[in-house]
Amino acid sequence: MRTQRIAPGAAVLGLLLLPVACGDDGGSSGGETITLYTCVSDTTVEPVIDAFEVSTGTQVDLFRAPTGELNARIAGDVRSGGLRADVVWGCDPLTLQGYVDQGLVGGWAPANAADVPERFRTDDYVGVAVLYLLAVHGDDVQPPQEWSDLTGPEYADGVALPDPAFAASALGAVGYFEGQSGYGLDFFADLEGNGAVQVASPDEVATGVAQGAYKAGITIANSAYALQGDGSPIGIVWPRPGAVAIYGPVALATDSEGSAPAEEFITYLVSEKGQRLIGEVGSYPTLPGVPGPTRPEDAPVVYPDWPAITAGQEDLLADYQQIFGG
Amino acid sequence: MPRLASRPADVGQRFEVAALVAVAALLVLVPILRLVETAVDEGASQYGAVLTAPGLGEAVRTSLLLGVVVTAVAVPLGMVTALALRQPQLPGRGFWRVAVLLPVLVPEFVLGYSWQQAYGRAGFTDTLLGVPFPGVVGPVGVVVVLVVNAVPIAYLLTAVGLAARAEPDLERAARASGAGSLAVLRTVILPLLRPSLAAASVLVFVVTLASFAVPQVLGAPAGVDTVTTRIYADLSLGAHPNSFVEAVTLALLLVLLAVVVVAPADAVLGPRLRSVRVADSGGSPVAVGRRSGGGWVALGLGSYLLVAVGVPLLALAGASVTRAVGLPPAPDNWTGDHFSQLLDQRTFEAIGRSVGLAVVAASLLTVLGAAVAVLERRRAGRSLATLVTLTLVLPGSTLAVALLIAYGRWLSGLWLILLAYLAKLWAFAHRPISGALDRLPPGELHAARASGATAVTAARTVALRPLAPALVAAWLVCFVTALHEVTMSALLYGPGSETLAVVVLNSQELGRIGPTAALSVLLTGLMAAAAAPLWLAFRRLGAASSSDRELAGVR
Repeated sequence: MRTQRIAPGAAVLGLLLLPVACGDDGGSSGGETITLYTCVSDTTVEPVIDAFEVSTGTQVDLFRAPTGELNARIAGDVRSGGLRADVVWGCDPLTLQGYVDQGLVGGWAPANAADVPERFRTDDYVGVAVLYLLAVHGDDVQPPQEWSDLTGPEYADGVALPDPAFAASALGAVGYFEGQSGYGLDFFADLEGNGAVQVASPDEVATGVAQGAYKAGITIANSAYALQGDGSPIGIVWPRPGAVAIYGPVALATDSEGSAPAEEFITYLVSEKGQRLIGEVGSYPTLPGVPGPTRPEDAPVVYPDWPAITAGQEDLLADYQQIFGG
Repeated sequence: MPRLASRPADVGQRFEVAALVAVAALLVLVPILRLVETAVDEGASQYGAVLTAPGLGEAVRTSLLLGVVVTAVAVPLGMVTALALRQPQLPGRGFWRVAVLLPVLVPEFVLGYSWQQAYGRAGFTDTLLGVPFPGVVGPVGVVVVLVVNAVPIAYLLTAVGLAARAEPDLERAARASGAGSLAVLRTVILPLLRPSLAAASVLVFVVTLASFAVPQVLGAPAGVDTVTTRIYADLSLGAHPNSFVEAVTLALLLVLLAVVVVAPADAVLGPRLRSVRVADSGGSPVAVGRRSGGGWVALGLGSYLLVAVGVPLLALAGASVTRAVGLPPAPDNWTGDHFSQLLDQRTFEAIGRSVGLAVVAASLLTVLGAAVAVLERRRAGRSLATLVTLTLVLPGSTLAVALLIAYGRWLSGLWLILLAYLAKLWAFAHRPISGALDRLPPGELHAARASGATAVTAARTVALRPLAPALVAAWLVCFVTALHEVTMSALLYGPGSETLAVVVLNSQELGRIGPTAALSVLLTGLMAAAAAPLWLAFRRLGAASSSDRELAGVR
């Protein structure tokens, strides 16, 4: 009967898959190997890894996943023998600080970290890329000049913003506004009262505005300029007092202290060569003077107080969720 | 002497149950217990705060309500569909039997997203016809899309149940006695279908409890909060240890909710729903339904599929070939760039690994599912059915973490992903087979053994043919679900063992609708292509059976 041939056939297929299952490290080139865990997108990470491997001969094994999955993977590692990464490249300081607090990363910074502005580094990690949260609006909608304009009648029932419970970049923005006079959490209460909608991620805001589902929204510059470059009918504004800068830091795993290839990789990311490459592949570098994606000359930028936000993030989120739920 | 003669069989049975319990312990109990250990060791001081957190009560109520409502709607719809497809005068019956399974081929995250693209503000219908359905984002939209996602499961289990449990002679006798179609349905067919309907209800309820993508895409913007979206939010901020422990605690809460519902259903209803068939009646099939109803049934099915799957997939296909978001999907704006970006070696390798994993997982799952279906009928194995359902309710991220904690020291990459699929999908394989199994006439099996056949030969020659549709249906559902599973494989993969999930998540995270839509279209097409040969096998198996003409879902 055909049925009885299916199971043995599947078993044979399974046996054929064993080499795929077992032999997936691709075979080391003979140089050393380090493991990188990151949430940074493939379009940035892959070219950087390729360039580093070519120039040093060190192989970089990559685990790449969104922040939620990355956190879960690291939590699983920790409870099953220890973190298996040599280097962790995060998408926001809150996440990296959490790993530092658990003793998983930190305690080392490359010598060239001093070239990166202080606002983008600590003693335990150094920022190598920046996200900017700014405003997008439909082509036929009046551009907001200031963040507070989004609470006005011309944007009633038409603003979208990302959920800080899902996106740490959004939590950084909440933390920034919470501490700003003239804004505070009342800014978000006014947005909610004006009919603003909360969606999961900054990218969903950008695509929603581009499709015309919303009049305006808060999103990240990379998404906005990518859509505009494709031809989507949106406008982009760096509203006053400024676009909110969220830097993505990289840190050495504490168990890899003294690992020369791991330290070399981090040093490379911070170097001018690495920063130029990061700028070329579509992320904003942290090293001053290195070109990156579109940023208007006088575009205002503001910087959250990350230590304060880290210390009070649970209360901050709880207070915010009194307004927007979640 | 009978007592001495039965002793080796008793020992053999106990060994079989013990072996299966050992497998269930490895796949289900150990990971869940490691999660419990984590929650107890690290979070004992937080339970009060976690369980009294603002909004959790509402999230629990929402999750349970969704489970109940979706089950109450999807299971009857699936049953009606299976019964409707028995009508011989239904035009294009073979086509409809395949078409009703289309939603199974569409991953949950694609279905939710495509409905938003199709019916939401500035979506397909809004752009082309000026008719939006704002309610698609909100509780109604969540329920409707989860129902669409669940109806094929209910249909498949009912169809398998009809295939295995049909009693043509009883139906013929009832009609000859003057019973109308409704009376035959109520007095003959529905009682025979009860185990399949119960199995479908349990599966749909648990799957709905565990759903994440649809509540997140369609529910979160309208403030609909479920336990699964809260778990994901906790993991997103999970670098803080408290957040991770909270996520684990909520996941265990889901397991508890599932146990509270499923365990009593299995324990109380299970034995009562089984009946014994004395012998295979083998009568000729019964023509059911009025001759004139086929056209209306076809129209109903067609309308449902158009709205539920056709328009959303069309919206998705439109987005996959449109140059930029926000531009109308007119030919002037068409581009093949989104597809050409996907066609690289990395994607092909990922597809190959995913297909291979899904084939192996589905094959092993079918054996494991059949084993539980057999052994749950013995006293020692009664709780197995509930046990293997527990990991189905765990969100993929939490189950993956549980397996990592339990086995990460020794296993990695594709081995861990395979374990995750086996743990997660075991119930998917078990329930369809269980719903069909008890109709096997035990007398024929005993006769085969008494004639000298080994247990394997007896199973192969007596049980396999009537069970074949259930086995193939179980394989198919497991294969498709494993293939489009995203979270677990994205979390567990190792260097050089990226599966399709990694490609999908990266595309989604870049926020580009075009490539994500192109990937979704590719994924759906790939699964249709992979499932087609299996469906042909399913049909041939049905045609070889003596009651093939009335096997719903089989030509």
